[in-house]
Amino acid sequence: MANSNHIVKRAGHTEPYDERKVYASVYSACMAVRETQATAELVADKVTEEMKTWLNKKHEVTSHDIRTHAAVHLKNYNDDAAWILKHHRNIS
Amino acid sequence: MTVKHKRPTRFDYDLIIVGSGAGGGVAAHMASSKGKKVAIVEQETIGGECPNYGCVPTKALLRAAELYHDASEVAPQFGVNATNVSLNMTSVKKWKDLAVKRTGTSAGDRAFAAEGITVLKGHGHFITPWELSVGNKRYTSKQFIVATGTKDFIPPVEGLKSAGFITYHKAINLTKLPKSMLVIGGGAIGTEFTHLFNKFGVEVTQVEFAPRLLAREEPESSELIQALFERDGVNVLTGAEVYKVTKDRAKKVVHVRQGKKLHEFRVDEILVAAGKRPNVDLGLENTGVSYTKHGITTNKMMQTSAKHIYATGDVVGPYAFTHMASYQSRIAAHNILHRQKIKASYHAVPRCTFTSPEVASVGMTEEEARQKGIKVKVKSVPISIIGRSNTSNQSAGFVKVIAAPSGVLIGGTVIAPRGGEMMQELALAVHNGLKARDVAATIHAFPTWSEAVRIACAGIK
Repeated sequence: MANSNHIVKRAGHTEPYDERKVYASVYSACMAVRETQATAELVADKVTEEMKTWLNKKHEVTSHDIRTHAAVHLKNYNDDAAWILKHHRNIS
Repeated sequence: MTVKHKRPTRFDYDLIIVGSGAGGGVAAHMASSKGKKVAIVEQETIGGECPNYGCVPTKALLRAAELYHDASEVAPQFGVNATNVSLNMTSVKKWKDLAVKRTGTSAGDRAFAAEGITVLKGHGHFITPWELSVGNKRYTSKQFIVATGTKDFIPPVEGLKSAGFITYHKAINLTKLPKSMLVIGGGAIGTEFTHLFNKFGVEVTQVEFAPRLLAREEPESSELIQALFERDGVNVLTGAEVYKVTKDRAKKVVHVRQGKKLHEFRVDEILVAAGKRPNVDLGLENTGVSYTKHGITTNKMMQTSAKHIYATGDVVGPYAFTHMASYQSRIAAHNILHRQKIKASYHAVPRCTFTSPEVASVGMTEEEARQKGIKVKVKSVPISIIGRSNTSNQSAGFVKVIAAPSGVLIGGTVIAPRGGEMMQELALAVHNGLKARDVAATIHAFPTWSEAVRIACAGIK
């Protein structure tokens, strides 16, 4: 289940996966490329859901994986937002 | 941004292999027998695709399908009358399950354990180049082999998912046959399933995007197989694309574009066999292992861009065959275990598509050889000229051999009832750089299908 996933951070420690962070990052990336608020919410919802599927069966992944894969899913909806998500670590 | 990871000083294992199919299993046994501490990671069934969903079950089903077809359609030609021939798909499935069981994969965990190999069940995901997360634990290893195979490619066709379809995973377990089926894909898998269901008596339509079936084989192989399929009632469309699927009550309506023509087929089932994609979703980004959409990139020693990580089998290519995977697995294991390295060579890779007759080939096709600038010598002979063709009443097929100007064999194709076995003689010749005259000078037993190989080789001057 997604809620038992753990994220290995760059410093080496782990923390439970928090889908709210993914939602916030995707939402912010969409807003950064001037999507409407409604679209940003819809896309963030979809990407968060798709990430849940991707994380199924994976107990641990890295924060880099989360960013990379969220960007892969986001690319299906907005190319520019995906680029921003992938290349700007501090977006959220 | 790439994160630099420090190599640990202590490891849980000498070698962790991700994937228990032919690409992983062979190396696991080799490394373990040399005293290495080995673990093998598997998230699905031990043994991987080939024994559980691929070669083994399909060949078991094919045996049943051909028996059914031969008893009802062919036997009377020989004065053998089988009345009331019928098909019980539940029993056919039981037979298939028995064949799968006899491969030993169901006892795979125990077989590995008996050799001291630890089986780790779950999805493997690299956290660092030296650490793999499986289940709720992390394991370190000095070296790794990635042998994760492939997954089905499902083309993005409008309405396909909502109308429903099957892939070969489900097709091998049917206990009730559809009356009609459309197969998307004309590669080896699509062609074998078209043949299989046709022999079971299903009305089959096969749609291939490329201009011909079995596009990696010789053009005359594609032509012959298509002609035989059409003779047997298969509707074959090449250079065609499924662009939409809709539903009409219980039927699936498949919309196909072929050049400017539009076709509609109302079928009971759709089988998607449109190719495979490598399974690279295992955190390779955290390891420095390079990969493309075609798979993991390795050198000829099966080593990836991260030197302690090797990769083998379908996830690498260039061919998705069990024998290719086990060959690469042996290469990787040897290179992990020995200072003296060996390299993979793909100049004599045998290929076989199990239709009737079988389409088997090795080495280069004529076109590939010409593209490489080789002035080839080519000889084709029909199998109808040999004695066995007469006594079996089977005349469709040929042997084609391709030689370099020196007469050294560099490729060959056999289409014949036992084409797979016949082709091995050519594989031996190509692998060892034998000349066509060496094969031609070898005495071949009469009346065997292999006489056609000798006659073709004798034609290379």
